[in-house]
Amino acid sequence: MRKITAIALLPVLFGTVPAHAHAFLDRAEPRVGSSVGTAPRQVSLWFTQNLEPAFSGAQVLDSAGARVDLGARVDPANRSLMRVSLKPLRPGSYKVYWRVLSVDTHTTEGSFSFHVGQ
Amino acid sequence: MRSEPESTPREASRGQYSRLVLRVIALGACAFLGASDALAHCFVGSRFFPATLATDDPCVADEMSLPTIAVFNNGDNPSAREVDISGDFSKRITENFGISIGETWTHLAPPGGPNANGFQNLDTAFQYQLLKDAPHELALLAGVVVEWGGTGAAQVGAERFSRITPTFFFGKGFGDLPDSTGWVRAFAVTGQVGYSIPSSASTTEVDPDTGEISVTPNPQLLVYGGTLQYSMPYLKSNIVDLGLPDFLNHLIPIVEAQFTTPVANNSGLPWVTTGTVNPGAIWVGNYFQVGVEAIIPINRASGTGVGVLAQLHLYLDDMFPTTIGKPLFGTAPPPQKPFP
Repeated sequence: MRKITAIALLPVLFGTVPAHAHAFLDRAEPRVGSSVGTAPRQVSLWFTQNLEPAFSGAQVLDSAGARVDLGARVDPANRSLMRVSLKPLRPGSYKVYWRVLSVDTHTTEGSFSFHVGQ
Repeated sequence: MRSEPESTPREASRGQYSRLVLRVIALGACAFLGASDALAHCFVGSRFFPATLATDDPCVADEMSLPTIAVFNNGDNPSAREVDISGDFSKRITENFGISIGETWTHLAPPGGPNANGFQNLDTAFQYQLLKDAPHELALLAGVVVEWGGTGAAQVGAERFSRITPTFFFGKGFGDLPDSTGWVRAFAVTGQVGYSIPSSASTTEVDPDTGEISVTPNPQLLVYGGTLQYSMPYLKSNIVDLGLPDFLNHLIPIVEAQFTTPVANNSGLPWVTTGTVNPGAIWVGNYFQVGVEAIIPINRASGTGVGVLAQLHLYLDDMFPTTIGKPLFGTAPPPQKPFP
């Protein structure tokens, strides 16, 4: 019982639990692994936590490894959303690489593909 | 929860789940200042290795497992019903060096009684992160696990001698396979192998009734195990978003296995490998995870029937990022702007 009590007091001893954690990719548009008929003008990435804009970014490469994005930025009105503007895309496969810093200083990264055209 | 060696196959099944867990912050010691990103619990590139229940993950971290509960029929003859309730606390001293402390309370109910209760020996581990290779989702960890003899209750099998177990841990995700392999990339494996050395070569006991003296060797043991896991979070965020219910997207189905094999100083005792195979699943959240596994003994010496193992595991680095959730000494390299 003493141990249980001690654990229950942890938040009191070390501060309240903040609403921060690692930022996971919650969803994306185009959707992860999807095929889209029309070339998107941007990639939108929604994360599970707010991001530090100065240390968060993304890039999009085509199947030849050439960069096809025009830059990424965290939405000032929704800091869990990152938008990546794209050059006009031809039919083919593209890969999105992202690396972000959540507001609690934890870094996470990932990548996924999407396909343009049928 | 950490798998620990035991002195005999009979006790191995008991000890495999009777590991503690109340981890304490160790002050002082150590000066291993290394350079790894501020990833805290076990992130390696895009891969997250969850804390596993019967073996150990390949990372140092600020975390706590409390409680871990195991209910099973152990390898005693006749088999006793055993309940282990344990806690484990892990603390990073620096970015790459961590210490953990664990304790287990055991209840034994042999057929016909009498029952026995008590704490197992105190466990500690000292671990150093050798490598985190993000592109290849590869993590390597070296450590020394120490079971402190004489700190537990003899009636539940705690030995009077200590055990020192140098152990190597690894984790490998398959996300670096070609995209054409599709959903296979969500698989990952972890493993560990250790060599357990007792502090005393033998144990001498005197029969209280006859006065007869018996000397039992304390064997050296190979302690090893691993996991095969499939990450639904990885599938959703790195391979294909199937639009599954959110609960399923947080699951990591897993099969763990752990074994103990006597390899030396075992004369007069059976050279039997004991262990269990544990299929189950771990649900991963932002601040904690919950795992449930079945315990399937591999032979009679490992137990009878199917038991159950459950654990609540807390990510202290996420819950308390500015206090107990960060290393005691040293600082992580400053973040850098990605994709300049």
